[in-house]
Amino acid sequence: MCPFCGLGCDDLTIEEEPPSTLTVRSTDCPVAREGYSRTTAAEPPRVAGIPVPLEEAVEAAAAVLAAAQTPLVAGLGTDVDGARAALALAERLGAVVDHALSDGLYRNLAVLQRTGWIATTLAELRNRCDLLLVAGPDPAALHPRLFERWVAPAPALQTPPSREVVFLCGEPLDSTRAALSGLSVTVLAGDSARVGDAAASLAAALADPSRASGTASIAAGDIAALAERLAKARYAVVAWAAAAFDGTHADLTVERLVQLVRDINRHTRCAGLPLAGHDNVVGVNQVCTWRFGVPLRTSLAGGAPLHDPHRFAWARYAAVADAVIWVSAFRPEVPAFPAEQTVIALAPPGTAFVDEPAVFIPVGTPGIDHSAHVFRSDTVVALRARGLIDRGLPDGASVLKAIAAALPEEAPAC
Amino acid sequence: MLTKLAGGRVYDPANGRDGAVGDLFVRDGRIVADPGPGAAPDEVHDLSGRVVMAGAIDIHSHIAGGKVNIARLLMAEEHRAAAEEPCGCRGLATPSTHATGCRYAQMGYTAAFEPAMLPSNARHAHLEMADIPLIDTGGYLVLGNDDLLLELLASGAGEAAVADYVGFMLNATRSLAVKAVNPGGINAFKYNQRRLDVDENGPFHAITPRRILTALAGAVQRLGIPHPLHLHGFNLGVPGNVEATLDSIAAVDGLRLHLTHVQFHAYGAEGDRKFSSAAARVAEAVNRRPNISVDVGQIMFGQTVTASADTMAQMNNAGLAHPKKWVMMDIECDAGCGVVPFRYRDKAFVNALQWAIGLELFLLIEDPWRIFLTTDHPNGAPFTSYPELIRLLMDRDYRLARMAELHPALPEHTILGALTREYSLGEIATMTRAAPARILGLTDRGHLGPGAVADITVYTDRPDRRAMFEKPDLVFKDGRLIVRDGVVVAFLQGRTHVVEPAYDPTIESWMARRFDERMGQRLTHFRIAEEEIRGGNGLIRHACQPGSF
Ligand code: SF4
Repeated sequence: MCPFCGLGCDDLTIEEEPPSTLTVRSTDCPVAREGYSRTTAAEPPRVAGIPVPLEEAVEAAAAVLAAAQTPLVAGLGTDVDGARAALALAERLGAVVDHALSDGLYRNLAVLQRTGWIATTLAELRNRCDLLLVAGPDPAALHPRLFERWVAPAPALQTPPSREVVFLCGEPLDSTRAALSGLSVTVLAGDSARVGDAAASLAAALADPSRASGTASIAAGDIAALAERLAKARYAVVAWAAAAFDGTHADLTVERLVQLVRDINRHTRCAGLPLAGHDNVVGVNQVCTWRFGVPLRTSLAGGAPLHDPHRFAWARYAAVADAVIWVSAFRPEVPAFPAEQTVIALAPPGTAFVDEPAVFIPVGTPGIDHSAHVFRSDTVVALRARGLIDRGLPDGASVLKAIAAALPEEAPAC
Repeated sequence: MLTKLAGGRVYDPANGRDGAVGDLFVRDGRIVADPGPGAAPDEVHDLSGRVVMAGAIDIHSHIAGGKVNIARLLMAEEHRAAAEEPCGCRGLATPSTHATGCRYAQMGYTAAFEPAMLPSNARHAHLEMADIPLIDTGGYLVLGNDDLLLELLASGAGEAAVADYVGFMLNATRSLAVKAVNPGGINAFKYNQRRLDVDENGPFHAITPRRILTALAGAVQRLGIPHPLHLHGFNLGVPGNVEATLDSIAAVDGLRLHLTHVQFHAYGAEGDRKFSSAAARVAEAVNRRPNISVDVGQIMFGQTVTASADTMAQMNNAGLAHPKKWVMMDIECDAGCGVVPFRYRDKAFVNALQWAIGLELFLLIEDPWRIFLTTDHPNGAPFTSYPELIRLLMDRDYRLARMAELHPALPEHTILGALTREYSLGEIATMTRAAPARILGLTDRGHLGPGAVADITVYTDRPDRRAMFEKPDLVFKDGRLIVRDGVVVAFLQGRTHVVEPAYDPTIESWMARRFDERMGQRLTHFRIAEEEIRGGNGLIRHACQPGSF
């Protein structure tokens, strides 16, 4: 079960060459190959660059956090248990919480919270969709096996079991073309920064074909023809990866796609597939939502959790935070923070730092070093990825729990 | 450790106690028989004059899973407002897991069951339920719109194969019961069918809702699942839907059936407004048939959010959304979800009549062992409105006073004013403790006899029943004091209740093939391992008795 990009492929063959070298044999998915190849041998934790036993690193982290006035608990590249522990720690600290990759998620969530939407899941796409409209840049860049696993097989629950795929304001990657070789594929490449305009034109043409207008470098005739096909489809799916959209107001692009989906639903069935999600961002957001009633980008500094997608985005809040605990269990990457900031990093061994963090605790990767729950990108399916090897690394959750336990006592409130 | 709860007035209908004064003894988390004069309790609580009941059990409350999280996201304003007042999470329609556990415990509840767990979302629901502190939980598995079952039925499979399929699914998803939501309707909606009659063939699989309903009720009986098929019926919220409700009762032909949130399914289409109460007809049918049980799904006035797997019904209601936003999802070839925020207004005729219909059902259905107190949280109202609802049932003057404040046309359309029944404390104890435990097959809960789990609630007997039930004096879970005077004083983790019916595993190879061909997930990965539930420490299994019902 592959935990990396949120598609939940569970058909991988992975070979282990002792000690601890993993090679993916069954697919050339670059994200999986890269993810499983990062199995550097365990190394000890460090405090101020000096190797120390785990307990000492935990004590040092707790000391930093206990003194912090405006802590940030972020990165959150971790499994469900890691998220639980990180959020519990953040609650103790009164910290702000966010995931490293929540930008794309937030473009979608902003629209969900403003207007709602009609959405679908991967198995519905695979088995019922007869017309897939891919809006904007090819999502396969982020979710490599999307087409191979969820689009290429014929829809088992439609008669006739036919499917066509249209790319709007974006071009399919070569791997996507290869995966779709048996299917009817139309490319309306257009201007990828203007997906939203194209969606609005489609909605207008749907209501009144004579109002079809060219937009985003796509001819009026093509818009009209596509609108007609959408209206005639039995179950159309509009898919997008918001993380790939350009521009500062990409949520408005999402909003227009969502509106288009609703309009098509007046005639036939149609549903959106808002993809988001490497490093379990979807799962961490789910855990945050059920534990606090509000999603990520929330401050736990006051009494009740306060959610503000603008103020509490980690990149913005990092500017005022006095201590950062950054969790990145899926990848050996930690962003550079200003030199005066105290950083505690939980990341795989071998992570390279621009500036050595105050505390570095190497942790295992979910689905490699330990069994883990992660969520699929469509938000519905939780997956269990089993651990494959033992490098002697602690999992993120137990380190975070140990840090919380090392903080001064405090009675839980209701 | 031995604890003595001395001298309370004990309401324990399962053991025939109706307010007689007596002592209770608790050892190691369970109730034990009076150990005799020689025993020295380590702890004594003097309960003289107080009312003692088992911990309450909610059989139908949407507390966890995908749709609940979507509802939380949609209700961001509610949470923002709550963040501005101290402990503002009190009456939220979409509380966090933490607040859910706390609020239930504070009202004297020690268990609540999520009644709509989709197979594909079961793992999520369990992960979320594990984060609800203090109370026991469990889930009812939604079947009846899953393409696999419909395909099985379409292939002409016999009762045994259907039961094997249901048996596998209950085991794999760690569920307690089977729920059917608008059988066939959610599936039909995926083919753009916006309504489906009980005897109409659905699209693609060409199976009628009646066939699905009877197949599932039969499978539940065959497997010996303690809880009857839990049915969210047809045409939810549509005037005139009482005919389909009565038809469902007839369709199961003597098999046990639980009609959930029956208030939403007890509507006539008569009168000047083409919307009328059919509570009397439903009550009459329930009173006559001991195989039928119901929970009410009472509405209360105010802002809430409706969340249901029934996309067909929710799509029809989407235009009424308040605030104007809503979410529909088609889900994983097994069901869907529709989340629509809604405000019930006391000055709106339709809402006022819905309120009255719910109360009529409560007062007209005679047997408190077969009717359950629910608001279908959060669909009719948040579960935190139960104390108010109990007061309405126990206090006729209060009921009439409330009624007088509602839409002026209401009295001509309801018989509520003429109903004099007032629930007794014993009946409340039955409806909220003894009966829920019995209908779910939880043999050691919901009562206070020796051997029962020591989930106990102690109240001061106040004439204002709302005040009484809002704030119990003491709540014990597994023998530990968790709430004192309405304040949570200790945290502990609840357990997860499941059934594991026996079935013929040869069905698995057929299913495994289908999963490989369609679901992008292997059957072995779909199955939830025991150690995934509360870290392997959480399951409580309840016995199935094939063919015994
Ligand atoms: S597509 Fe995603 S889930 Fe599938 S193998 Fe590649 S990284 Fe893993």
